[in-house]
This record gives sequence, C-alpha cells and structure tokens, in this order.
Amino acid sequence: MKQQVGTIVGSSVHLTGAIKDSSDITIFGSVEGEVSSDQKIIIEESARVKGPIKANEIIVSGLVIGTITAMQRIELNQTGAIKGNIDTKELLIHAGASFIGKCNMPDRKDKNLGEEKESFSVEVEPDDLDDSDKEIAEEAEKK
Amino acid sequence: MYYFILEPTRNNSDKLFTERAKDLSRQFGIASEINQSSPARSAGELTQIALMKNYSTIVAMGSENHINKVVREIMKAGANHTCVLGIICTQGSSMLFEKWGFRRPEEAIETLKQRRISKFDIGFIEPDIYFLTSAKIEPKNPVKFNIAVDQWSAEGIITRAEISSNLYILLERLIKEKSVIRSALNIFGGKENSKYEHSIFKGKSVRIETIPKTSVYVGTEAVTKTPVLVYRKLSGLNIIVKRDRILSES
Repeated sequence: MKQQVGTIVGSSVHLTGAIKDSSDITIFGSVEGEVSSDQKIIIEESARVKGPIKANEIIVSGLVIGTITAMQRIELNQTGAIKGNIDTKELLIHAGASFIGKCNMPDRKDKNLGEEKESFSVEVEPDDLDDSDKEIAEEAEKK
Repeated sequence: MYYFILEPTRNNSDKLFTERAKDLSRQFGIASEINQSSPARSAGELTQIALMKNYSTIVAMGSENHINKVVREIMKAGANHTCVLGIICTQGSSMLFEKWGFRRPEEAIETLKQRRISKFDIGFIEPDIYFLTSAKIEPKNPVKFNIAVDQWSAEGIITRAEISSNLYILLERLIKEKSVIRSALNIFGGKENSKYEHSIFKGKSVRIETIPKTSVYVGTEAVTKTPVLVYRKLSGLNIIVKRDRILSES
C-alpha cells in the first residue's frame, strides 16, 4: 500500500504551519507557513501562500508572499504574483506576471561583470519598468 | 503450525473456495487447525485462542472486516507474540484483494506454504482500534473539518476522508454547481455539474475533527466517532505475501 503520491492542498483547504515533503507539493488552496519539498512545488492559480518556500523547482501561477528559494529553477506564470525575494539558479518570468522583490542568482557568473562578482541580483518594481528600460535590456542582451 | 480463521461463507462460490482450500492445505502438508467464526465464537476470540496456543501463523480468510478483526486482536497482544499473519481475501471490492486476493485456492495455499514474509504498517485509532486497510469518514452531507498533522493544521469542508494504515490522508469534497443557468449551460456544453476536489497529505499522526460529529468506519464497521487520533505502527505486523513475478519482455 506504499505509494509515491505527493502532497496536494485542495482549493477549499486553509492550511497553517510548516509542510514538508520529499516528493512534489501542489497547492490549490491557501497556506500560511513554510512550504518545502525536495522536488517540485506548484502554486496553482487559485492558491495563496504566505511564508517561505523551498524546493528544487518552483512553479508559481498563484500568489506568493514570502521568500522563494529554488535549488534549480523558478517559473512565474502569467497569472502568478510574487511579493518577496527570490533565490535561484534559473528564473523564467512570463509576460503578465507580477514580481516585487529582489532576485539573487548566486551561481551566475556574468561575463560583463567579471569573474570577481559571483552573485547577480536585481530589484524589480513593476511600475518602474517602461519602454526605455526594455530597449536598454534588449541592447544589453545583443551585446 | 497454521491456525485458519474462516469467515462464515456468504455464497456458494465462497463455500467451494473454502472447502477446496481446506483440502489443499492437507495435500500441501500444512499442519493446521481450521476454525470458522460464528456468533458464538467471534473472529477476535478465535485469534485470542490461536495466540494462547502459540501458533506460528494465523490465517484470516474472508472479507476485509473479518481480516481487520483478526489484525486487531493480534496487534492488541502487542510484542508478546511472534506470530505471522496469512491473508486470503475473498472480497473482490476490497483494497486487500490486490495483494491477498487469489483466483484459485491452489495459489492461496501455495503462497501460505512458501511463507514469504513482509512487514506492514498498521493504522491505530485511539484507544484500541487497529486496521490494515483504511479508516473512512463518509458523512451524508458536507461537514466542516479540522485536521492536525505533525507540524501543521488545516480546515475546510469535506464530503469524504480516508486515512490509510501508512497514514496517507485523502480529503475529498464534492463541489456542485449552484447556479441554475450555469448548470443548464454545462449540460448543453457537455460539461459536468459537479466535480471532486482532492487534498492528499501524509504524516506520522493525525487528529481529525468534524462539525457535526461523524462516524469513523473501518471497512463497513463503524468503530468510533470524530474527533479521532490516528497513528501508524511502523512495520507493526509480519504478513505472508505473494512471490514476485518476473515479467518477460514480450
């Protein structure tokens, strides 16, 4: 009767406290507290999480208020919103998503910044971005 | 020595299976005592007798309820026994049938003879209810629940809850479309007007409370009412299992 089923928090469930699982965690409801997994955490569109999140890979389509730490990758989908700092190797933010906080990518060695600077961090406020920012970003990418 | 505890047979095919199994146990040279539970002597009492007589193996044959009764008595005896449980589940709809269901009596007796033993977690509801399958809460109407598992707690509404012996927790809610217009549109659009929403957790101990109080079932037997505290007894019981099959590539 032993199965490898991850944790699922249903949309009508309100959970308080720290949840930890060695397999995937999927959240549809609301969680107040720490969420950590050795594998993947999926925050669905209907979900609201208030607290730190730690996992290998994190996909956010709902609202997260708190620090997010991913060993590998964070994906913020169109419907997703993060209010808090991010710590990850890889970050993917889809158009329409909202991110207010500081992003830290510790393993990223940016050639332009030189070998000495090992960490790359950026603070983004959605209202601060305008067309000129995007042009600058595009030019930097071309270089 | 094997001590068979059979459930009173419910139909002809069960009776034939039981009779054949009895004959085969003799043919296979299994030294055994065969008993059938009855209102005068319940499965629990027969298990106590088997434990008193120091039988090395107790075989429970019958439905999920019957098997759980035998499990309960063995577990109540605690660490005072070294007995192994053999299971022959005759209830096709039971989750036990997958592991301990046998199409032919020969297969069942052969499995018992080979005596391949595995340790299994046993669920425990305070004060003294043990179960090998799962404990279920199935209210007629949706109820509010409050669940506390290890370091967290949760609340919400459920229409069904199931806690397995290794403490996987399934919470289910049936959501029905309330709007008449949407219901009609769903029917025309070929969509369902109700859907099940599931939550799955696991833990080491679970306390579940419902408002109003609801019966907790093990199999079809109502064992207690909420609130309940459920634990698991890790590797609590040695049970004889089928031999693994080697599947060919073709």
